[in-house]
Amino acid sequence: MMMDLAGLAERLRRVTVEVSDAGESLGSGVLWPRGCVVTNAHVARKSRVAVRLVDGRRVEGRLVARDADADLALLRVPGTGLPTATLADTDTARVGSLVVAIGHPFGVRGALTAGIIHAMGPIMSGGRLWIQADVRLAPGNSGGPLADASGNVVGLNAMVVGALALAIPISRVTQFVRAAGVKMA
Amino acid sequence: MDGLVTLSNELAAAVEHAGRAVFGINGRPRLGSAGVHWRPGLIVTADHTVHVDEEVAVTRPDGRVVRATVAGRDPAIDIAILKVDAPDVAVAEVADSDTVRVGHIVLALGPGPCASWGVVSAIGAGGAARRAAGEPFSLDLTLYPGFSGGPLVDVQGRVVGINTSGASRQLQLAIPAAAVNRVLDELGRRGRIPRAYLGVGTQQVRLPEGLRQRLNLDQQTAVIVVDVQPNSPAAGAGLLIGDIIVSLGGASITEPAELKSVLRPDQVGERTLASVIRGGEPHDLQILVGERPRRS
Repeated sequence: MMMDLAGLAERLRRVTVEVSDAGESLGSGVLWPRGCVVTNAHVARKSRVAVRLVDGRRVEGRLVARDADADLALLRVPGTGLPTATLADTDTARVGSLVVAIGHPFGVRGALTAGIIHAMGPIMSGGRLWIQADVRLAPGNSGGPLADASGNVVGLNAMVVGALALAIPISRVTQFVRAAGVKMA
Repeated sequence: MDGLVTLSNELAAAVEHAGRAVFGINGRPRLGSAGVHWRPGLIVTADHTVHVDEEVAVTRPDGRVVRATVAGRDPAIDIAILKVDAPDVAVAEVADSDTVRVGHIVLALGPGPCASWGVVSAIGAGGAARRAAGEPFSLDLTLYPGFSGGPLVDVQGRVVGINTSGASRQLQLAIPAAAVNRVLDELGRRGRIPRAYLGVGTQQVRLPEGLRQRLNLDQQTAVIVVDVQPNSPAAGAGLLIGDIIVSLGGASITEPAELKSVLRPDQVGERTLASVIRGGEPHDLQILVGERPRRS
């Protein structure tokens, strides 16, 4: 299991970026196909931010779309040559199944935390849908990937309520990206 | 990564399997709790989450709300038993909790079901007041609000205990299934869960160093008798005001609450040994454990 988790972490780190502005780390992001990065709207508040790749290269991210209500933002980055995230079908996620998060909590780059899906659905009745995960997140994880045991991204980590991690389901993220005019391959 | 995928699927299957027997319990204001359909018609939950004494609204796994009644309580180990008419709801698969080992991966379930995971971090390390629960499991996992009274589940979806965060937010504990079974057996045998009763009022006292050394006692404190109820088991055993109770049934007593927690319902009607210090000298007294008179 250790070997598997290490491999999983390595694979996810390659598609996880750090978003910063003027040297200040703001959060994480996920490398998306077609030269894009998705992150939280509360991470990317400016039209231009710095994006640090796993190999240490820094590129400029230009804000293409931002939806504060959905807490999603889409950045354009120059060609990185790095792999992009593989996406899971959120509908197959089950309560109890393993999930891992990669991000930069408190500036610790590429930190892995592991847990399980706690529940799927709104926190309060009538609220928006979340993947609720029993996994430890901290400031700096925002915008980073939540992935299943195969390394497929199931959600975008967005916030912590109590000890519970809330991630935006990946179907909601792809919907946002599509609405922004980026076609998936 | 097949190993991880397999584990992931097993955990999800365990939640699904055990979740079929998890009830929501609405026995206190604001925050509900969880319960386990342990035996047909009997739900086990955490005693501290059931504030009412008769009818409780419970939420079945399918979301329907039905009435249950309190069938018995064992506050010493934070267990309450509710009676419910739900023959179509699955009964939990209960495992032998003696096979649980430190380091085992376990899941905690709440109504829904929702779940958290972690490992058993210690067994029986809860301190003196917790001895009564048998060997409670200390857990390295998050008991989310509403998880008290819910099942602790192994990777095969079998229930190995009942979770409780009643004592402290810092401490996640589970009462082992074996201790829960003892309470249920008692309920089946007598039709109720008796509360053990001695009939003494006590206060904590510090034991002088010299006395501890002379009597070879490890404990720093014990309890001094300040009241003996007439015609009580304590009176019958000859316990006197001023006696210092050091241990009961072999378990050291360091504070008044432990007198209650070391006495199990199945000890009612049986004799137990109290070690007391009277006038600086050790005495052993046999006490016939009584049953706490029920409020009518």
